[in-house]
Amino acid sequence: MSKMMKSLMLYALSIIMLVTVAACSSNTPNDAANTTSTPKATNQNDSNQQNDKKDNVEIRFTWWGDTTRNELYNAIVDRFEEEYPHIKVKREFGGWGDYWDRLTTQVAGGNAPDVVSMHQFYVSDYARRGALLDLSQVVDSGSLDLTNFPESAINSGRINDTLYMVPKGVTMPGWAYNTAVFDELGIDYPDMNWTWEDYAAKVTEIYEKSGGSLWGSVDGSGGQPQPNFRYFTRQHGQDLYTADGQIGFTEETLVKWWSMWDELRKKGAIPDAATGTEYENAPLEQNMFVTGLVAITQIPANQIYLYQQQFSEGEIRMVRMPTLTGGQNGEYIEGAYLSITEKSKHPEEAALFIDFFINSERSLELFKVEQGSPASTTMSEFVKPLLEPAQQRAVDFIQEVLPYATDAVYAPLGAAEIQQLFSDQASKIAFGQMSVEEAAKAFMTEAQAILQR
Amino acid sequence: MNKLKQAWRNNWVGYLFLSPWLIGVLTLSAIPMLASLYLSFTSYDMFTPPKFIGLDNYATMFQDAKWRDSLRVTSMYVFLGVPLQLIFALAIALFLNRGISGLKFYRAIYYVPSLFGGSVAIALLWRQLFGSKGLVNSFLTTLGFETKNWIASPDTALYTLIVLMIWQFGSPMVIFLAGLKQVPIELYEASKIDGASKWKQFSRVTLPLITPVVFFNLVMQIIGAFQAFTSAYIISGGSGGPLNSTLFYTLYLYQKGFTHFQMGYASAMAWFLLLFIACATAILFITSKKWVYYQE
Repeated sequence: MSKMMKSLMLYALSIIMLVTVAACSSNTPNDAANTTSTPKATNQNDSNQQNDKKDNVEIRFTWWGDTTRNELYNAIVDRFEEEYPHIKVKREFGGWGDYWDRLTTQVAGGNAPDVVSMHQFYVSDYARRGALLDLSQVVDSGSLDLTNFPESAINSGRINDTLYMVPKGVTMPGWAYNTAVFDELGIDYPDMNWTWEDYAAKVTEIYEKSGGSLWGSVDGSGGQPQPNFRYFTRQHGQDLYTADGQIGFTEETLVKWWSMWDELRKKGAIPDAATGTEYENAPLEQNMFVTGLVAITQIPANQIYLYQQQFSEGEIRMVRMPTLTGGQNGEYIEGAYLSITEKSKHPEEAALFIDFFINSERSLELFKVEQGSPASTTMSEFVKPLLEPAQQRAVDFIQEVLPYATDAVYAPLGAAEIQQLFSDQASKIAFGQMSVEEAAKAFMTEAQAILQR
Repeated sequence: MNKLKQAWRNNWVGYLFLSPWLIGVLTLSAIPMLASLYLSFTSYDMFTPPKFIGLDNYATMFQDAKWRDSLRVTSMYVFLGVPLQLIFALAIALFLNRGISGLKFYRAIYYVPSLFGGSVAIALLWRQLFGSKGLVNSFLTTLGFETKNWIASPDTALYTLIVLMIWQFGSPMVIFLAGLKQVPIELYEASKIDGASKWKQFSRVTLPLITPVVFFNLVMQIIGAFQAFTSAYIISGGSGGPLNSTLFYTLYLYQKGFTHFQMGYASAMAWFLLLFIACATAILFITSKKWVYYQE
């Protein structure tokens, strides 16, 4: 038995070791490139395409979203294929988190889709590493028409003066509440232009009037530093980052921010750390606002109608992000964007697709305000009569808040790590492992070290 | 030379049959492995070509507090979870070995968690079970105990993962069962005549004779546990939180590679893990001479 056992074990071990390493090293890009098949475009000859439209071409388009959005975008792509029979569009989609993991791997492996959905949070990671095409090429060639786009919307897609993405839809964040909940508690609705003091008073009032059965709002101290903390820094005349890629806010601002949340948490007006953590990544249908644990939550305006679908009673309404007494406006343009990847073999066809997506009535009559209000002024007029009341409220909100928006700096390399650090430090405070001052001090030191690398 | 030719002539069919596996190993394991070894000496963000930086990644690792956290959390998971899992598996195996009827059925049933315990679905289920409104809490409420937010509290989150590992006791249990069957019945009879109690029989007869199986299980489970990923990834929502309390080594490696775009550093971490597991295994093999007893 012993001999057999030993050799069996050695054999099993060697296999395990191999598997271990394979599992670890499957992170290498070679692997992704080898295993994911790269669709071969039917036409490899680029130079002829611009002149000869009859050549068949295949491009790939990818987006994030839920099932409803996938159906919607598939329908838009179908219409595009009807209009341009020589262009076939392969579709790839996934949830928000998976989307970015996959895109990273695809870009690294050299087989990224031609048209990719982009977002402010991530665009600098790709643009600063040269993975995205300068869109002015296709605008100049006439494939992509941006004449109906306001300058501010176009500028929101520029990084260091290069146009890397164009908005599918423009949206603005704010805080949402359900009128039914407020009516029942006999509390006044929040004011459109409320301040952080008003906000703190309101959530405390909700908590007290509900007899402790309802928290005022979600805990906005940590998680992603944008939009909440970013608005706060901008209201102080600062920002998350400076134009030359350094930390753009002071330790004092950070201490003020975390102290405000810490006080609310200690009062019981916002959820405790463990509950907050549990719901951190919950899908919309199960988050704290929808399940009735909190009365106010922070969302982008284009999601109002998604939230409205979850409630049979009351109306979901939105107010601005709280303002700072005597401070500046924190607003900056947000939205979902489309980019073309640098390695795309068919940038002109990709541009035609984007053009159809953002400029044609056939597309917009389906899109409406799916990922925000259309940035093209003609198109935003066109979709207006097609909207449901909740979507209409979103558009009204966006249009009311948009004028406050000013330019915003894009994140430097290393922003993903700083975002993680921000969220880590915030939970250390929430769980009582660190004081606000300690956490802020440690954040500044470590964040600067990350940016120095 | 001639001999080599001869050997090839004799064996080429064998290699042909092996080729699917050989190609798989070379393209999916060996080459990526070598690539990751090279990348571990570079700074590589996956977009721009890797830059050779020597041992910098390895040096940074030892100063990275989060890396130390991840190593600590993983070690705790492995060195607490695996022994508990094996004790549990052995207990069930001993119970099933008493000749109860329907053994095959129970053996199959208990083996099932091992098959899909590492899946996403089970991790999601675990999240529900130990959530603040989960089954565990409603059970505790009925019994009049305090409830707790198990998965979202830094002091208990890791233990929910350890419980999940223990629950997957099926495969070591089956191996224990096989080992128990090998213990010669005469030894039990002899010890019974000598007046040994049940406990004495277990500690003096059964346990020494199944040490090879214990050793085998220990090595296999430890190697497996060091690479645990799915449960922590799903239960913490990819963050390794709360407060890094479920930040498994592989999870941090994944974050470094795919969210922070530091593939060179992630590769270095992978190679360190390989060395670490190799050392742990080597230590087990060395000590095994002292406590593993082979018959004959």
